[in-house]
Amino acid sequence: MAFGIKRGVRFQILSESDFDRIHWGTLHILEKVGVQVDSVACRKLLKDNGCEVDESKRIAKIPSHLVEEALSKKKTSITLAARDPKYDAKLDLDHSYMTANGNGAVAVDFETGERRPSTKKDVADSSRIIDYLQNVHIHWPMVSSTDKHPSVVHLHDLDASMSNTQKHIMYETGVTLSDAKHLTEIGYIAAGGEKEFRHRPIHSCLQCTYAPLQHDAGVMDASLYFAEHGVPLVFFGMPQPGATGPVTLVGSLVVGNAEVLSALVMTQLHAPGSAVIYGMGNAPLDMRTTIRAGGSPEHAISSAIATELAHYYGMPSCVGVSATAKVPGDQAVLEYYTGCVGPLLAGADLMCGVGLLEDSSCLFYEQIVIDNEIVGSIARLIRGEWADDDTMALDIIEKVGVGKNFLAQKHTMQHLRAGEHFMPDLIDRRSFDAWSASGSKSLVDKAREKTRWILENHRVPPLDADTQKRVDAVIEKAKKPMWGGETKRD
Amino acid sequence: MADGKEAILSELENSVKNLQEEAAMEAARKALSAGVSPIDAIEKGLAKGIRQVGEKFERKEMFVVELIYAAEIMSNAIKILEPELRKSKEKRNVLAHVVLGTVAGDIHDIGKNLVRIMLEASGFEVRDIGKDAPIDGFISAAKEMGAEIVGASSLMTTTVSVQKEVVDALRSGGIEAPLMVGGAAVTEAWAKEIGAVYSSDAGSAVSVAKSLVGKGG
Ligand code: B1M
Repeated sequence: MAFGIKRGVRFQILSESDFDRIHWGTLHILEKVGVQVDSVACRKLLKDNGCEVDESKRIAKIPSHLVEEALSKKKTSITLAARDPKYDAKLDLDHSYMTANGNGAVAVDFETGERRPSTKKDVADSSRIIDYLQNVHIHWPMVSSTDKHPSVVHLHDLDASMSNTQKHIMYETGVTLSDAKHLTEIGYIAAGGEKEFRHRPIHSCLQCTYAPLQHDAGVMDASLYFAEHGVPLVFFGMPQPGATGPVTLVGSLVVGNAEVLSALVMTQLHAPGSAVIYGMGNAPLDMRTTIRAGGSPEHAISSAIATELAHYYGMPSCVGVSATAKVPGDQAVLEYYTGCVGPLLAGADLMCGVGLLEDSSCLFYEQIVIDNEIVGSIARLIRGEWADDDTMALDIIEKVGVGKNFLAQKHTMQHLRAGEHFMPDLIDRRSFDAWSASGSKSLVDKAREKTRWILENHRVPPLDADTQKRVDAVIEKAKKPMWGGETKRD
Repeated sequence: MADGKEAILSELENSVKNLQEEAAMEAARKALSAGVSPIDAIEKGLAKGIRQVGEKFERKEMFVVELIYAAEIMSNAIKILEPELRKSKEKRNVLAHVVLGTVAGDIHDIGKNLVRIMLEASGFEVRDIGKDAPIDGFISAAKEMGAEIVGASSLMTTTVSVQKEVVDALRSGGIEAPLMVGGAAVTEAWAKEIGAVYSSDAGSAVSVAKSLVGKGG
């Protein structure tokens, strides 16, 4: 079976004239208001290429021709390669890929239920779960190795991920130039060399822009390095409608679009043809609690329209979902389902990500397994229907005739085997008696059982000893006193 | 006159409480021409209004945008009172002086801004030193304003350690003000480890700050 979710359904929310308007409006903002660029290197790049740059305010005004040029220079066919090529994710605008959520700092211990700072072991174990699950296609280090030295937490996160999944790994921790160098170096080692990595990038980096209309210095310095060194990038706008963007979803899309397109301009000026994915995560700030509402209908629809806009630009989209629920169960399911279904119906290429609660902060192992089921159900929803000889089944209808049934037809069996009907793993469709006789288990109970099974049984081939040694050496070399402070961690 | 003054004070209070910007400006001008002391205008008028908005926000009866808007109205009205305020010998009766920032290396500032607004709404004077704020910035601001509390926000596992830097620098700079910490990456245990006090959200930041300066909590 092909990897990823093949899409056949696509809802359309915005019209062609909406796209034109949004694009025009964004160009207008970039020329008139500009963006704040904190990176000296990026300001120089923009200035050298004809942007009006106000050094004292660090604002660059970007003429529209630079945006159009960047859009025409960017890499159009991006494959996020994997250690095992059967997991290669081809971003062909025809498949959707689900990713893990990433970088929480808290985990709930699977055995004791204790809510505690996350560790490298959590990164490793969750990576194995992601490796196993069929509906999660791309991995993110889900939590941080907070038991490691702060200066190299992100490298341990990558290390634990690499040795516990063969899927593509996307990280979002390349926030300074030196982070970028070390992460890239590890990628080259894991791929077997620079040439091999450039050819088959097994890692990629997601970078956030800073709403409204700003670019962090470290993030952009790192991004130029990644672009130049063949590490695919996602630029992820995150205006929060009503807080760091206009309350209207389209207004926030314009703000995020200006950020993503200006980041695209900088990378294409620096490294023409580098791979950039169009990211946007415009979840509103809940105005009563001030928590980011990642599983809200507004986030879902914002991600859907951002996807449409990305496709208008011929770029794959990367959009988000998260949940504010505190424990796995009904609220988490409702939030994850809402957050995933909207963008996936609109054709999201990368949908990130599963498994964290408390607004991408807290890992529950079993939530990964529950979300995997949600995605399975949505995959069926977006597969699409079509009428051909086989699906119309006129010959079978004729053969069976009036008043009988289709249960014993080969056509029925063949299609069931090919996935015509979604076969849930956790949803219990049995009778009450059968359900209660086997212990009246809830969805969460069943997810825990499956999680336990995966943890006990699923093994991932480790990196070979030499690769591992070289990765360890990079981590050791990268360790430095953090902000001059001593720390108890190793 | 006494009557007039009471009426003006309640106009100030109500205009903030009901989010009426024009009315607040108007009431501030009236206060000036009626000779109401600017300190009274703030404390017995505007601040009473914003406190009620803050309480309603805490009870989830008002949106955070409304709280922010009310704070804006209040600060614009204070601008009108400012010339008188400068002349006046009375001092604003603030609960305490607080220096607040997001630590170096970290640009997440939405939470920190909310903490500032809630502290201000509750009667604290806050010097906001912004995001990605250097350690020195905390120290010099604390010295300048004579801060009774220093607050450091941090959202990332990679930047929480800077909070320890801030405490260490405060102490070696001879500043005894307690450090208040918060933000998604911070835990109660971490706060204890570095000798700081933790609060989990903007509402509890206010009660923690109050208890730190012995003003209840
Ligand atoms: C002094 O006393 C006190 C007392 C209480 C205090 C206090 C101080 N400070 C806060 N509080 C408390 O009161 C507030 C009000 O109730 C609360 O404040 P909060 O700030 O917690 O809550 C806010 C009101 C709403 N919450 C937020 O605003 C944060 C939400 C999340 C999703 C988030 C956002 C929005 C952003 N981000 Co980023 N971001 C995440 C966040 C996930 C999360 N759950 O926190 C987090 C923190 N980010 C992360 C990352 C990795 C990053 N982000 C980045 C950028 C951004 C945006 C700019 C896009 C945006 C911030 C916009 C802004 N102006 O602040 C980058 C940072 C670059 C840098 N150098 O700092 C970047 C590195 C990504 C990249 N590669 O570019 C993760 C950190 C991972 C980790 N383990 O450390 C993260 C947990 C998300 C995730 N799971 O991946 C309380 O904590």
